[in-house]
Amino acid sequence: MYQLKAAVGRTLQLGLVLWAVVTILFLMFRLMPGNPMAAYIDPTFTEEQQLALMAQFGLDKPLWEQYFIYLANLVQGELGQSFRYREPVAERILALLPNTLILTFTSLIIAYVFGVLAGAYLAWRRGSAVEQAAIPVVLTTRAMPEFWLGMVLLAIFSFWLGWFPAGGTRSAGTDHGSLLGLYTSSDFLSHLALPALTLAIYSQGLPLLLMRSNMLDVMKEDFVTMARIKGLSNWTVVVRHAARNALLPVMTSFAIAVGYQLQGNVVVESVFSWPGLGRELVNAVSASDYPLAQGAFLMIAIVVILMNLIADLLYALLDPRVTHV
Amino acid sequence: MKSIHKAALATALATLFASAPALAGDPIRTIDVFTRPQAAQPQEFQSVQLIAQEWRKLGLDVNVRVMPWEQMADIVWYQRDKWDVTAWQMVGRPERSDPDEIVYNLFHSSTAEKGYNFIGYSNPEFDAVAEAQRVEIDEAKRRQLVYKAQEILAADQPNMMLVHPKSTFAYDKTVWKPDSVVNQSGIGIRNTWTFMSLEPLGEQRDIIVNSGDNVQAVNPLYISGGVDSWVTELLYDRLARVGPDGLPKPWAAESYEWKDDKTIEVKLRAGMNWHDGKPVTVEDVKFSFDAVVSGEAPMYKPFATNVAGIDIVDDRTLVFHLNNPAASFVTSSLAKINLIPKHVWEPVLEDLKTKEENAESYQEDTPIGSGPFKFERWLTNEEIVLSANKDHFNAPKADRWILRIVPNVEAALGMLRSGEINFIGEFSGDPQVLIDAAEADGDLNVVSTVDIGFRYLAFNERRAPFNDAAFRRALSAAVDRRLIVKAAFKGFAEASNSVVSPALEFWHDAAVVENFKAGQDLAKAILDEAGYTLEGDRLHYPGDQKEEYAQ
Repeated sequence: MYQLKAAVGRTLQLGLVLWAVVTILFLMFRLMPGNPMAAYIDPTFTEEQQLALMAQFGLDKPLWEQYFIYLANLVQGELGQSFRYREPVAERILALLPNTLILTFTSLIIAYVFGVLAGAYLAWRRGSAVEQAAIPVVLTTRAMPEFWLGMVLLAIFSFWLGWFPAGGTRSAGTDHGSLLGLYTSSDFLSHLALPALTLAIYSQGLPLLLMRSNMLDVMKEDFVTMARIKGLSNWTVVVRHAARNALLPVMTSFAIAVGYQLQGNVVVESVFSWPGLGRELVNAVSASDYPLAQGAFLMIAIVVILMNLIADLLYALLDPRVTHV
Repeated sequence: MKSIHKAALATALATLFASAPALAGDPIRTIDVFTRPQAAQPQEFQSVQLIAQEWRKLGLDVNVRVMPWEQMADIVWYQRDKWDVTAWQMVGRPERSDPDEIVYNLFHSSTAEKGYNFIGYSNPEFDAVAEAQRVEIDEAKRRQLVYKAQEILAADQPNMMLVHPKSTFAYDKTVWKPDSVVNQSGIGIRNTWTFMSLEPLGEQRDIIVNSGDNVQAVNPLYISGGVDSWVTELLYDRLARVGPDGLPKPWAAESYEWKDDKTIEVKLRAGMNWHDGKPVTVEDVKFSFDAVVSGEAPMYKPFATNVAGIDIVDDRTLVFHLNNPAASFVTSSLAKINLIPKHVWEPVLEDLKTKEENAESYQEDTPIGSGPFKFERWLTNEEIVLSANKDHFNAPKADRWILRIVPNVEAALGMLRSGEINFIGEFSGDPQVLIDAAEADGDLNVVSTVDIGFRYLAFNERRAPFNDAAFRRALSAAVDRRLIVKAAFKGFAEASNSVVSPALEFWHDAAVVENFKAGQDLAKAILDEAGYTLEGDRLHYPGDQKEEYAQ
């Protein structure tokens, strides 16, 4: 009963958050300086065309009416039509989302696997020369701007060594049949390598530092002392007892990192000509393409909210003490 | 001589009454100058900074306001009485090879309220010349009128013309035979003619071109982004095409002939086919023009509204009847309207009539044209693949044409060197970087040519003191354009004083550029003569003119 109540409350909460996001998005883009008509200004742009466009975009109606039309459409799953591309927003987002997701998750998984292992190792080797050398390096990678890191990797591995292509998801003019065919091709993987590496280097710092400090805390706890007293090997104590407990907050941070990463993609997608949602978002905002910008932001917001929910549920599963989900 | 005496007298009087400022007008308010950000438009930003410096020397308080294009365009276009000066840019396009679009739409008083004459320029003498050149079919006479228009603009300085930039492109000369690259006057080497004639030297037979912008639509009834037109020009034929020399020549039409100044007879080329194999007929041609004015294609409509009717004479001949004589008709209509297959578009347009959307929102899965390239594939924001139409009357020598979307300009250069692309279709960075890279590489050819487009500062003629031609002349004269060319454009531009580019040799009036004199002393003399006075270090209006636009 308690569980059910919690689930209902949670869902209502989600709905409220989504409504707030949607409303803020709607107002944000309309209050921003700029005008979607600016893209059409041309010596042959007539008054008739301007009026036709305003009507077509629904911008001739008062703001509150636009808002209710927007909400009503959203409830029906209708994201509207992009001003700039004159095609349904949902179609564009669906075409680009897989590219963004695969880049995000590939880089995050690399970052978290590496981060967790390295963090645990550094906690274990606390005070050693390795730890003292590694921490400044990790902090430096955390502080490097992604576009800069991306350009450096591009200059070294693509332009200088020629190991990897410089942009896109495939070589010019190649056809891999389906999306699955593309994602499993070596052509795709070689294109994925540099952008994924950039994002992975950028994001490994958080799990690494988090894991390390959690480990250090956990190692002081009674049950670890207990395990040591039992005479268990150092390896068993660190891996089976300490690391498993220290992992919990890192799991949560993974879910939240997905949201952050979607923002980070904006930069990396531009550097590596990656046809993803982040680049689309930037273009849509700068062209005042309200429906597309709203749709793309909404999609990212949904992913973030979903990942948070998953983190909460996962936490309860991993740590039975957490029941108030 | 007379005017100099007058000026001297004015100065003498001004000195005499220096202690009685009541005779001078109000101080001129702080002048706002709009520019786009340095990161987006470095040359524009730099030019505006230089110009502001020169204007301050005249006693003006100048405030440079930096804003993104959308915001700038919104104010300039939709709040026409709310700004003073803005940097602006006109890009080169093949159809602008005819001076009419620029000369008429930018300056005729009828477009001041809602059209492109957003500066509010109004000069009845100019209006008359602009109207006359539109209807003058005799090229020599029309040229005199276009010269006259350039002279009036030079005298009035409604805009402060800065430069015609050079467009710089590059290609891999080990992949493409350099002789097969065509320079289109005022457009550069990235053009339809080049893509048709590029001759492969080795294994690589695909033209791989980059663009920084995404493709918005591939639609023959919608004028969308600049990059989109690279694609549509290859997919669709038009009755005429603007040639490498900037003048129109018959294309899908075997020939055309003016019967009188409102009637033109067009003979369609024989044996053309659509990409789906069906023949191109005169009905298709007539349908293409009817579709444009049907109300389903508002962007293209202005280019065909002058057509009163089209008669089909026989299976290869059509006669176009015009409402008004139009000298630019071949360039702005016959070379502009895409030929589209009736069997594909008729049902689509019928269906659209019942809907709210128009043909501009309609995207075919496989666009069907009759042009030198056929549509293969389009991957959102990544690439477009076209294949050569080997049956075309001017079949391309390459196998495919592939457009890659590369927003990172440094990456585009790296890709050119690594062979991921082999033709730079767009390079927004410093052209010198491209030239240096080509020298280091050895396999690349870089070609820079003067563009049809131009950069300028627009004065808002609705607001004093910019309603005074003398004031505009002085501001324009205060800046040596060679400074702009060197410092802002690093030499990749040509100083300008005319909206008609020197690339359009036939129409460009070289005298207005040669006769333009600049210098601080000259600017001060013009202001002095017009009655503007310096009180302390601040410029004041002449006579008892009040400042009406102070914030």
